[in-house]
Amino acid sequence: MSNAYLAYAAKRLAQAFIVILLAYVFTFVVVSILPGDPITNVLRDPQNGFTEDQIKQIIAAQGLDQPIPVQLWTSLSHFVTGDLGLSMRSNRPVTTLIAEVLPSTLILASAAFAIALLLALTIAYGTQFLPKRFGQGLLRGFPSLFLSVPNFVIGLVLIHVFGFQLGLFRVIAPDSFWATFFAAVALSIPVSARIAEVLIANLDKEAEQEYAAVARGRGLTQTRLFSKHLLKPSSLPVVTVIALAIGELLGGSLITETVFGRTGIGSLVQRSVSTQDLPVLQAVVSLAAVVFVLVNLIADLIYPLLDPRVKLIGGRGRRPTTTDDSATATTAAVTS
Amino acid sequence: MAAQDRLTATLTHAEINAPTPLRPLPLLRVDGLSVSYGPHEVVTNVGFELGRGESLALIGESGSGKSTIARAVLRLLPSGGRATGRVAFEGQDVLGMSERGFRPLRGRAIGFVPQDPANSLNPVRTIGAQAQEAAALLDEPGRAIRKRLILETFAEVGLDNPQRVYDSYPHQLSGGMLQRVLIGLAILPRPALLVADEPTSALDVTIQKRILDLLTRLQHDLKISLLLITHDLAIAAERANSLVVLKDGVIQEAGRTAAVFSSPASAYARKLRADVPALNPDRYAALRDVGFRTLKTGDAATPKIEVSAVTKTFTVDGTTLTATSDLSFTVPAGTTHALVGESGSGKTTAVRLLLGLEQPDIGTISVAGEQITGRSPEALRSAWRHLQLVYQNPFTSLDPTWTVEQLVREPLDRFKIGTRRERDARVREALADVGLGEHLLSRKPAALSGGQRQRVAIARSLVLKPDVIVLDEPTSALDVSVQAGIVEVLLTLQASLGLTYVFVSHDLALVRQLAHTVSVMHRGRIVEHGTAADIFDNPQQPYTKSLLASIPSGVADPANPPHARPRLMAAAE
Repeated sequence: MSNAYLAYAAKRLAQAFIVILLAYVFTFVVVSILPGDPITNVLRDPQNGFTEDQIKQIIAAQGLDQPIPVQLWTSLSHFVTGDLGLSMRSNRPVTTLIAEVLPSTLILASAAFAIALLLALTIAYGTQFLPKRFGQGLLRGFPSLFLSVPNFVIGLVLIHVFGFQLGLFRVIAPDSFWATFFAAVALSIPVSARIAEVLIANLDKEAEQEYAAVARGRGLTQTRLFSKHLLKPSSLPVVTVIALAIGELLGGSLITETVFGRTGIGSLVQRSVSTQDLPVLQAVVSLAAVVFVLVNLIADLIYPLLDPRVKLIGGRGRRPTTTDDSATATTAAVTS
Repeated sequence: MAAQDRLTATLTHAEINAPTPLRPLPLLRVDGLSVSYGPHEVVTNVGFELGRGESLALIGESGSGKSTIARAVLRLLPSGGRATGRVAFEGQDVLGMSERGFRPLRGRAIGFVPQDPANSLNPVRTIGAQAQEAAALLDEPGRAIRKRLILETFAEVGLDNPQRVYDSYPHQLSGGMLQRVLIGLAILPRPALLVADEPTSALDVTIQKRILDLLTRLQHDLKISLLLITHDLAIAAERANSLVVLKDGVIQEAGRTAAVFSSPASAYARKLRADVPALNPDRYAALRDVGFRTLKTGDAATPKIEVSAVTKTFTVDGTTLTATSDLSFTVPAGTTHALVGESGSGKTTAVRLLLGLEQPDIGTISVAGEQITGRSPEALRSAWRHLQLVYQNPFTSLDPTWTVEQLVREPLDRFKIGTRRERDARVREALADVGLGEHLLSRKPAALSGGQRQRVAIARSLVLKPDVIVLDEPTSALDVSVQAGIVEVLLTLQASLGLTYVFVSHDLALVRQLAHTVSVMHRGRIVEHGTAADIFDNPQQPYTKSLLASIPSGVADPANPPHARPRLMAAAE
């Protein structure tokens, strides 16, 4: 690993850290300036039965009478050390609440991601090598089809067919293997469509390149040509798409968890929103920011490893070359 | 690697493909080959034979179908291409085979050297990884042994540091090195037939000569048959035993090189021969003499262009690169001065300095008595009325959304010259000067051929009635016959309008046809300077001599003739 790459990685890592902190500050500020005071609402709820003195004590103990910047600083310093505070509803640490539901969502999201990749690769491979008469055109229509069907419809259809008709899984046991599998399938379909779309377009482009013909002339089989030559350059733009698709997985898991009756981050968010449990919401939003930033960081770190032509910031620059693009500019300069 | 080891390795290597018993049938026989894209037929009823160890050149201009024939033989036609007829390799019909049946022949029996080295290797994989694919065609199980064979082959094709090449990515090597790599990969499995599709068209002349010499040498040493595709008749005649001349997908003439080249029977072959600059240095002598007379009688004391002691350096990431160093030359009015050199010689920087697009570190440039150096952009504008540029690539230098009329008219509009009617008349006049009809006025560049586009570019520079035109490789993107037309237009304009040209080119043969004075550039310096006669008939510097020796003459090199007997590798080293 070259020094240039390490310098690049360190810089990206620092940037990622700053972005996460900024995201936390942003949500904190937004929550603070929102109208309505959920904390007072909770404390003054007659069911809780706090007296005025108790309320004052709690507010002072939590530091909620401090100015916003001081509160932000306290909260941020806790966040950095991993302390996300207590849930206002259950009085349990937010980290515990999240830790309880996170595995279920992680399993669902990673299964969905794996299925999405597999599906996208299969479709893309098929569009390159399936003979026209065996439905290559149909395959090319898949991504648009996948994108145009809403996530929950796919979920409902899967539950109906595989749950009720075929009895592969029981709807009341959402954590069983098959239930998880079909939830992941439902979640993966729109994500796979995005990946497949970009992959197909790039495979088509790369297959036309001269080097593909030359490699074929070297006696490579179709499969080797695909895996050794076309896949890597075609997946460069896909890396970026995947980083964006993770966002879709997060958002989609909320709906899928509801449709399949799973507990997970989605259901936690749903509950916290309806009860205005601010510390939980703040934590989940920050978590989403962390996931997003990490995924994009990974994408940024992988990219230069996949494409040796990428010029690294902080690395050695390549000499500029005169290209034909300058032609029009040169001619225009002389004319005007 | 010791020479002894190399020799042994080559011998054992050759034994893997044991010599096939001699058979009467030719290695490659093409019969009634036609290729079409949809309803459009691009190759019609082509037939030829290539014997074992022989070489055959397919010659023609762009669109003649020569590359399509090569692709059909290799079964690498782009999707939509359909070949009919018979292509028999060692008696087997290649076109009739299934892909599965043909694949064992790919690489092993039929090697391919492509045209554009920069795009013919996967940019995101190392050279070594791709070389291993070629090496996998040898029945050699050990990866280490395969790697040794690859490194030996790299050395064999003249790559200096094989291990470094093996570890490099394509973008880290020059075009000449990449072409050597590609030739190496093609010959590594010791194919019986090598198809080389314009293997040198993207390279400098001296590198072209080295690559062609290499191909010729390997062909003899390894007894490979060579199917060479080229647009250059001189190269073909120099390198091949037989020639096939093509036009619009139809064979115009075919036969042994000596016969076709020295006494072409078809009108097209005669025209092709007449258009090759290397074979006709004095084709435009009458037109060029106008400039020579000016040179003799003219007032040399006040030259049109005066470049004195110009040095320009660029700093890239802390490294200082000297683009031009102590550049000096003068050009008398009404003559052509040629700046000759290979890539990286500083020609392009010289052009930019001349036009005032770059400012030199030291030195001065004046054109038509006006100082170009040290001017503000506004002040340069007035100089550009007398000083115009024709760029090398007419496919990128014209705005594709403009019509010919708009393109040619733009300079007049920008400089606010004449009334509307006068501008219209001037545009038509400029088009007529370059031999284009008024019916093209409303066309867009996409609807024009390469030659027409370059004529539009010339008309655009002419429309301001400049004194000086800088021609930056104006024909390098064009076919020979189109190039001949452009050269004729340029010389006619010079003879009638007294224009002064600075002609930048890497093509010495072309320079010989039209230049009056020549500066040979090498690594940013002028290494030799003189009249065309001095440079071409009595070169002094070794670099100039090597450039001149690289011009394909159409005559086989006596040291390396295409019909020479096969020799051992050691003899050639």
